Amino acid sequence: MAQEEISAKEFEDAEQEMTALVEKSLQKYNLKPNMLFAKLSDITASAAKGIVNWSRKNSVWPSLFGLACCAMELMDFGSARIDAERRGYLLFRATPRQSDVMIVAGWVTKSMVPEIKRMYEQMLKPRYVVAYGECAVSGGPWFESYNIIKGIDQVLPVDVYVAGCPPKPENLFSALMKLQKKIGGSIED
Amino acid sequence: MTTKINIGPIHPSTHGVLRLVVELDGDTIVGVEPHIGFLHRGVEKLAENRMYMQNIGYMEKIDYVAPMAYDDAYVAAVEEAMGVEVKERAKYIRTILLELQRIASHLLWLGTMSNDLGQFYTLFMWTFRDRDKILRLLQEHAGARMFYLNMRPGGVVRDLPPDFEENTLQVLDYIEKRITEYEHYLESNQVFIERTKGIGVLSREMAIELGATGPVLRGSGVNYDTRSNKPYYAYSELGFRPQVMFVGDSFARYKVRMLEMKESIRIIREAFKKIPEGDAVGMPIRLIMPQAKNRIVTVSRETPRGEAFIYMIADKERPYRLSIRTPSFINLSLIDEIAKGSRLADLFAILGSLDLVMADVDL
Amino acid sequence: MKIERGKLIETLKELKGKGYKYLVKIAGVDNISSISVLYFVRDIDNNKEEVVEVELDPNDTALPSVEEVYKAADWYERTLYEMFGIEIKGRQIRRLLLEKWNGKGAPLRKNFEWGAPYETKQSKKAMA
Repeated sequence: MAQEEISAKEFEDAEQEMTALVEKSLQKYNLKPNMLFAKLSDITASAAKGIVNWSRKNSVWPSLFGLACCAMELMDFGSARIDAERRGYLLFRATPRQSDVMIVAGWVTKSMVPEIKRMYEQMLKPRYVVAYGECAVSGGPWFESYNIIKGIDQVLPVDVYVAGCPPKPENLFSALMKLQKKIGGSIED
Repeated sequence: MTTKINIGPIHPSTHGVLRLVVELDGDTIVGVEPHIGFLHRGVEKLAENRMYMQNIGYMEKIDYVAPMAYDDAYVAAVEEAMGVEVKERAKYIRTILLELQRIASHLLWLGTMSNDLGQFYTLFMWTFRDRDKILRLLQEHAGARMFYLNMRPGGVVRDLPPDFEENTLQVLDYIEKRITEYEHYLESNQVFIERTKGIGVLSREMAIELGATGPVLRGSGVNYDTRSNKPYYAYSELGFRPQVMFVGDSFARYKVRMLEMKESIRIIREAFKKIPEGDAVGMPIRLIMPQAKNRIVTVSRETPRGEAFIYMIADKERPYRLSIRTPSFINLSLIDEIAKGSRLADLFAILGSLDLVMADVDL
Repeated sequence: MKIERGKLIETLKELKGKGYKYLVKIAGVDNISSISVLYFVRDIDNNKEEVVEVELDPNDTALPSVEEVYKAADWYERTLYEMFGIEIKGRQIRRLLLEKWNGKGAPLRKNFEWGAPYETKQSKKAMA
């Protein structure tokens, strides 16, 4: 899926159009700052958003993208001793269409780049990406190889980075808790 | 008229990144073509630019289910290039650690294979709990759960901790009971028997001709095991017996691995009775710079998946050429011969019984 | 044993007749003035191994395919083709590990430019 690049000039033109439209609509409906009305709508909107974010952050369903050695620790993360299901990370599926978080574990080669982009675009918004392990963060021990991408943030937007080779499953736990904090206080995409 | 379908690199079974282009006639498989290379990172080229002990980090990541086996194969090649002998107590320690690694690897295989056959995560959870006990034992000795780096030329990095023997014998008793339980559950289950008996037959002549190794070869009736044909460390003194089955289908390969686990438990118990006292620590890293006593070295070791064969040309500080033959590479090329004539639903059962690790294939 | 490439298939057929039925590996080595290809064969019943070596000129690499003698040689020859640039005659060869790679040159040769910060004596000598 090729992405078109937007030049800086087009972006500025679009921005100016948007601001002109917003000002025009404000003039049409003749809105005056009405303090009580604004406060009421603010409170209900933020309360509704609070409940929605609370329910969203406590049930984060990951889609496994375990490619290499870090996949062994991911399988350990989901198994009986360090239980992932007690915090809400249920149902590790291989399909991206039913998941919120994509945990990329393992090194990504140049043949694998179109597949990883397609997986990311199949996820529904709001979606997050966790880079698990040194190979996904920065290329890892294969930094000088001729077939490896130096970190997945050259291809995808990453939210949380987890360091280690391989990181212990408890490490992933604390990283996912940070991700939950980010979801709970974030504005919808 | 045949149709071709693509089983892409990302699929729900836990085998890793592998693309299979399957040619079908109705429901019967006519041909399978694997496309690999999604995990190729050029270890052989990278190893030419590193010094000898920096290379161990690369060798462990080739097979991430049983890393100590490749660690040991590479360090044995360096020892032969330098002309260093392994100390007596260290031979027994290495045997014990390698057999523990083999049990852990076969437990993971059992979990993922029964996952593919439809037992949705039950046996997976149980075998992972047992494997975790072994990993904790190895963590007490080496300091890490997965990438140990505990082999040095001439011995190991440090001696076993003082209560290692009691803990190991307790864990072995527990695991022996669990393995007999798993065998009983699986073999009295009609679905498992119908999905593995008679499926994916590999005859004896084709196994030798196509170059199969490991339990795939022993499941087809060939009595070849590197631990008994070219013995190393303490295997000949402990009386090692290879396990062979004669039919060649998926059930035979499964049975060979279960019997191997029991044989490993027996060997570890014998080794603890016969281990000599003494010093087991190998050379420190700063002294390792082979002056190329033997320039050309070949080493064969038995990893849990088959035979790993290393051919190394040793220079003064770096290897000039390091060429590795991994067992999963040649076991995957058998899939075309094995899967012809069976149905599409049996394809993943066959792949599960071959025990592949994809980073091993794409070296 | 070292032989010439014209006698490769005969020698291997002879060895197979004597009982060396199992092919372990086909490896390639880049000595800078020549390329050698090594065939490791093994006799399973009697536990013996044998190595056959063929030396090639780097500008004229053409080997006959060994698949008619040992069927396991298929995938090994495909990796020889893509990693060293050796042409194999007699059947259609496709790449195995680097299918969609569009770089230049063969990766395991010593004069491969890969931008690594390390240069060894051999790579400097080969690129000079």
